[in-house]
Amino acid sequence: MNPTEILARTRAYVQETFLYTRPDFALGDDDRLLQRGVIDSMGVMELLAFLRTEFGVVVADEDITESNLGTLADIARYVMQHQPNGNGNGRGGS
Amino acid sequence: MCGLAGVARREPSGVSIDMLDRMAAAQRHRGPDGSGRYADAQVGLAHVRLSIIDVAGGAQPLGNEDGSVLIVYNGEVYNYLELASELYAAGHRFRTRCDTEVLVHAYEEWGTRMLDRLNGQFAFAIYDRPRRTVFLARDRFGVRPLYYSISNGDLFFASEVKALFASGEVDAALDPVGLDQVFTFWAARPPRTVFQNVRSLEPGAYAIWRNGELHHGRYYSLDYPEAREEHPTDLESLDALLQSSVSLRLRSDVPVGGYLSGGLDSSITCALAARQSPFALRTFSVTFDDPQLDESAFQQLVAGQLQSKHHIQAIGAADVAAVFPDVVRHAETPLVRTAPAPMYLLARLAREHDIKVVLTGEGSDELFLGYDLFKETALRLFCLRQPQSQLRPRLFDRLYPYLDARGRRGDFWRRAFLDAGSPDDPLFSHLPRFLLTSRIKEFYSADMRAAVAGTDALEELRASLPPAFAAWSPLNRAAYLEMITLLSPYLLSSQGDRMSLAHGVEARYPFLDTRVFELAARLPASSKLRGGGLREKAILRRWASTVVPPAVQQRPKQPYRAPDIPAFFSSGAPVPEYVQDLLGEANIARTGLFEPAAVRGLVRRCKSGAASGFRESQALVGILSTELWHRQFISEARLEPSIVEAGGR
Repeated sequence: MNPTEILARTRAYVQETFLYTRPDFALGDDDRLLQRGVIDSMGVMELLAFLRTEFGVVVADEDITESNLGTLADIARYVMQHQPNGNGNGRGGS
Repeated sequence: MCGLAGVARREPSGVSIDMLDRMAAAQRHRGPDGSGRYADAQVGLAHVRLSIIDVAGGAQPLGNEDGSVLIVYNGEVYNYLELASELYAAGHRFRTRCDTEVLVHAYEEWGTRMLDRLNGQFAFAIYDRPRRTVFLARDRFGVRPLYYSISNGDLFFASEVKALFASGEVDAALDPVGLDQVFTFWAARPPRTVFQNVRSLEPGAYAIWRNGELHHGRYYSLDYPEAREEHPTDLESLDALLQSSVSLRLRSDVPVGGYLSGGLDSSITCALAARQSPFALRTFSVTFDDPQLDESAFQQLVAGQLQSKHHIQAIGAADVAAVFPDVVRHAETPLVRTAPAPMYLLARLAREHDIKVVLTGEGSDELFLGYDLFKETALRLFCLRQPQSQLRPRLFDRLYPYLDARGRRGDFWRRAFLDAGSPDDPLFSHLPRFLLTSRIKEFYSADMRAAVAGTDALEELRASLPPAFAAWSPLNRAAYLEMITLLSPYLLSSQGDRMSLAHGVEARYPFLDTRVFELAARLPASSKLRGGGLREKAILRRWASTVVPPAVQQRPKQPYRAPDIPAFFSSGAPVPEYVQDLLGEANIARTGLFEPAAVRGLVRRCKSGAASGFRESQALVGILSTELWHRQFISEARLEPSIVEAGGR
């Protein structure tokens, strides 16, 4: 899956899951999800489940950081690096 | 425990007995053992009674020797025997053995200053006929409720709001600012309620109706004169006060039972009660199908040690949904948690076993810093003192151990605490909770947003804080905020008084004895939170080592929770019809408080099993309970059937 597609699917997921109460909310690829009140720590749990089922990416505990998952762009980059058919091996924490 | 109601007219235009009977009937559940009323041209009083002390005597309204002073009263004054002795020595003579009459004579002797002498949980109205005044008062911590409304120049008052509406002279309408407070603090802040033109008398306050005007006063304010270090006699004082507090709360002419959660606090109150009670103690516990919520192993352990007659109310998700409409009707407010529902069922169980009085452990967490919120405050302060430290924020991973482990570690978890506000903000300790709760407001409709535009629940709270607040330590500020925003208007009301009195059961709170509170308020923070701020209720644990089993004495605090989303949406079970109806687009649009598309999104996620976390569970419960409340009290309100019983004057 290419980066554009990953980004689009992740954006759709975030909007459907965390922003359905705020349809007018403009979320940029580089907006901080935590600081803008989109995802909280419990929301991250849901996001991890999504990354596993949608892209086959299992995020290791030590990879649950803002640098890896802080923005839509960060997430897409992380998935690209770790998806089973991409550059990574499907498991984070390498 | 009882219910009171009444009216004081501006002019002597008459008070209808039918109206008083309707007001009494609306809160008959509070006092199923009897009722009475009094009316003259200007003032009417009504009362429903739960007989606990002087079962044969004590009917109300009750007067002094010549009937010039009359009282309707809900509650208990535990030091009434001591007060009666003092009043007897001053020349007063008694016709009954009940605490109600002591209050009448106390008023004659000391006037409004009588309040300083009362140790108890109470709300009352005293009609002074010669002076033509009505004196309303409420206990220090707000255990017992008292609402009032001024309508067409006349004062209406009652233990429950539904009695005001039953008068037929007070209209029910939503106060959007009150609702906005529920979606900030979990409850409206007294004196505000969720009803327009209905006020709650504040804890520790009184009011006097004179010449058609209500004059307000305060006789008690919370204070935290914290000592620098623990005094050698503090442990001994705690022992004496807890023993005394429980002993006073066992004063009753009917058997007293105990709620037993399996935690430290209720284990203490049950253990002390078992030692002192002349009756075999009956204990009552809630158990949950969900093992994450269940504490039955600890309950069994304590009940076994006390050899109490133990009764269990098992709670499955469907049980919560089945009683939730009744819970909201009794609570008279929207809720953001379902936790009152099991308490409603537990009170019913106690009543089925002929128990009308129970001791509970409520109040201890506020006095001895039991909640994780206090640890969180201490840790946030600790981390902000060295913002560059990479190690300190790791301590946050040890908070809230009952939540899913993967969600409570790492950057996102820690940043949520570190970014949650400045220590300079008076609300520092509570901002994470207040801001999380406020996320329900994302569901507001445009009309609801417009209705609360220009109001700010947090700013109003900041502006209302007492002058002494700034001088208190951060942890005592947190304790104070917890007392006024959660304990009184939610835990003691929606989850306390309303749920137990729905079944005619009176709850008594040994930790909320004024003397126990004042001792706790004097203790240094180090006597409460130890272990770098991670070990709660330290002095209480030390004291309890000989009172409760070691496993209970040492166990960390587990918050009491109930199923939220699974109560209404669980796989394989049909969604209850009333939930489908109330959350349906037609109803949401008709009520107009929430955005139908947003609610549709929430319902979709609940149905699919995807909804999770506090954000969505509180939204579901908040929206559903608001719609229930609106239907019950506003859009389809009806008066309770009237009753007419003898016993009035």
